[in-house]
Amino acid sequence: MKILIVEDEIALLQSISDYLEKDGNVCETASRYTDALYKIDLYEYDLLVLDINLIAGSGLDILQLLKSNKKETGTIIISANNSLDDKLKGLDLGADDYLTKPFHLAELNSRIKAVLRRGKFGGTERIEFNEISIDTRAKTAYIADNAMALTRKEYDLLLFFITNKGRVLSKEIIAEHLWGDHSDMVDNYDFIYVHINNLRKKLTDAGAKYIKTAYGSGYKFIDE
Amino acid sequence: MNNKAKKIGLLRKTSKTFLSISLVLMLFSTIALYFYVRTLLQGEIEEELRSTEARIESSISKQNPIYQLPPMVEVTTVPKIGKEHLKDTLIFDPSQNELEDFRELITYSTINNQNYRITVRTLIVESEDILIAVIITYLIVLLSIFIFLFYFNKSRTQKLWSPFFKNLQQMKLFSLTSEAPISLMESDILEFSELNTEITTLTEKVRSDYKNLKQFTENVSHELQTPLAIIQAKIDTLINGEGLSDLQFEQLSSIQNDIQRLKQLNKRLALLSKIENDQFQNLSACNLNDILKHRIENLSDLYAIDIQLKSEDNVILTMDAYLAEVLCDNLLSNAIKHSTPKTPITVILDKNSLTVINTGAKAILKPELLFQRFYKESEHVKSTGLGLAIVKKICDLYGFHPSYYFENNEHHFEIKLKNA
Repeated sequence: MKILIVEDEIALLQSISDYLEKDGNVCETASRYTDALYKIDLYEYDLLVLDINLIAGSGLDILQLLKSNKKETGTIIISANNSLDDKLKGLDLGADDYLTKPFHLAELNSRIKAVLRRGKFGGTERIEFNEISIDTRAKTAYIADNAMALTRKEYDLLLFFITNKGRVLSKEIIAEHLWGDHSDMVDNYDFIYVHINNLRKKLTDAGAKYIKTAYGSGYKFIDE
Repeated sequence: MNNKAKKIGLLRKTSKTFLSISLVLMLFSTIALYFYVRTLLQGEIEEELRSTEARIESSISKQNPIYQLPPMVEVTTVPKIGKEHLKDTLIFDPSQNELEDFRELITYSTINNQNYRITVRTLIVESEDILIAVIITYLIVLLSIFIFLFYFNKSRTQKLWSPFFKNLQQMKLFSLTSEAPISLMESDILEFSELNTEITTLTEKVRSDYKNLKQFTENVSHELQTPLAIIQAKIDTLINGEGLSDLQFEQLSSIQNDIQRLKQLNKRLALLSKIENDQFQNLSACNLNDILKHRIENLSDLYAIDIQLKSEDNVILTMDAYLAEVLCDNLLSNAIKHSTPKTPITVILDKNSLTVINTGAKAILKPELLFQRFYKESEHVKSTGLGLAIVKKICDLYGFHPSYYFENNEHHFEIKLKNA
């Protein structure tokens, strides 16, 4: 996938770009408003990761330009502003998702994949990993063509693992993904372990031993 | 309270002072006048008596027949000359047929070798009448002057102080959160004008300080997000790097946890200041049953906890939909956090109140602090300490009344829903 990342903090820009490139994406970066306008005008991207608080202008203007050029580019807004109004404004202008800083790169990655799946190009609504396949429209996972009986959270977890396959996920990253807005409630991670262990058991029972423990307390979804 | 009872209005105070000073003045001046007029009258009478006596003496010395007019004039011959006196005496007046008060002058004199005692008297009723008339006239004049002055003064003072009273009213209406400038009544009195200037300066200062404080909270929570995002992204990169030890991973994971806490703290502080800034204006009819059902479903999924909802149908509140969700969420998460593990949580909703009940070993020690920011009673629970403060703010915004009580080993958080 070809992704343009617009973010005025170089350090953050670099981290995002590195993370996404490891999945085989082609990432271009723009740290300035004018650079972003220029690149959008000239090239085609599958996806735009857009910070709206840029120094020289608003990312919302970039979004508006993109949409007025009728380009089929998926857009995820990343903003330090948690206000509902900004979120609604962004989504009204045609953004596909809105992520408040700070976020985990794994979370951004899973949101990007979700947007790409919904988009015209690129993604498909079916995700495959060896014998596991997920129908994201029906929200059902299959293992060797047999539908798995997963709870909503287990399904979310499996999807999150597969979209971030090969990456180390700490319990904090997983908790924040599962809890979403309620992640402040995470004071002990027992509940996380319950969900992970249940999923792991269901996978292992079907012979899919992909959830590995990393560094004692982290997880990695990998086929070794 | 005691202090307050002693307070007295400015106008009443000035009237009271005026009245008491007038009263004292009136009393003393009347007494002084009384003695002065009385002395004057007595002098007059004495002079009159002496002149009558002198006439009688001269008449006797001219060998005229001795003039007698008892009780007014009595002349008798006496063997010996006595001492002169002047005194008041009561004598029966046959013409009036009663005892009358007389002023009496008795003198002795030797005329043509004959000793005479000459007694001259005059009625003093008349002079007393004059005295009383003078005093009464004086009192009437004085009283009318005072009454006139009193009302004149009162209306004058009222007019004089009216900018003060109007401005006082304005200051009572002053609100920190409103943007409208305080409108003070101008006055040509120097001190009032100075007071106005000071009030305006002070209110502007207070408002700008308040605004800065709010701005500060907003800015801090906003500006912290970007550096936090960078730290978080770098840690995410780091944990996917090579050659990490278990201990290092453990520590990075713990930093992630702390970033998470900072993020939540930020988010909640920003929410609090937004509620305070009255930035939630999208009122709509919120069905509390639906919101609760949805929230409970979500939380039960996450925590495998039994949350029972006992509700009447369709409790609809007019409020911001987002705040309604936050209200329910915070109450529920508070209950989950502090509930004894593996015990159910009960939520009771009816038209008048929303109650969230969870089990607990003992009552909260200081329930009055429960809804304050950063109040934490248990050490083992990590929380921002802002959840219930947000509940309280939302309640304040919509006129709900939150309360807490402990009964049968259960914590009850009850919200009285006013506009239900």
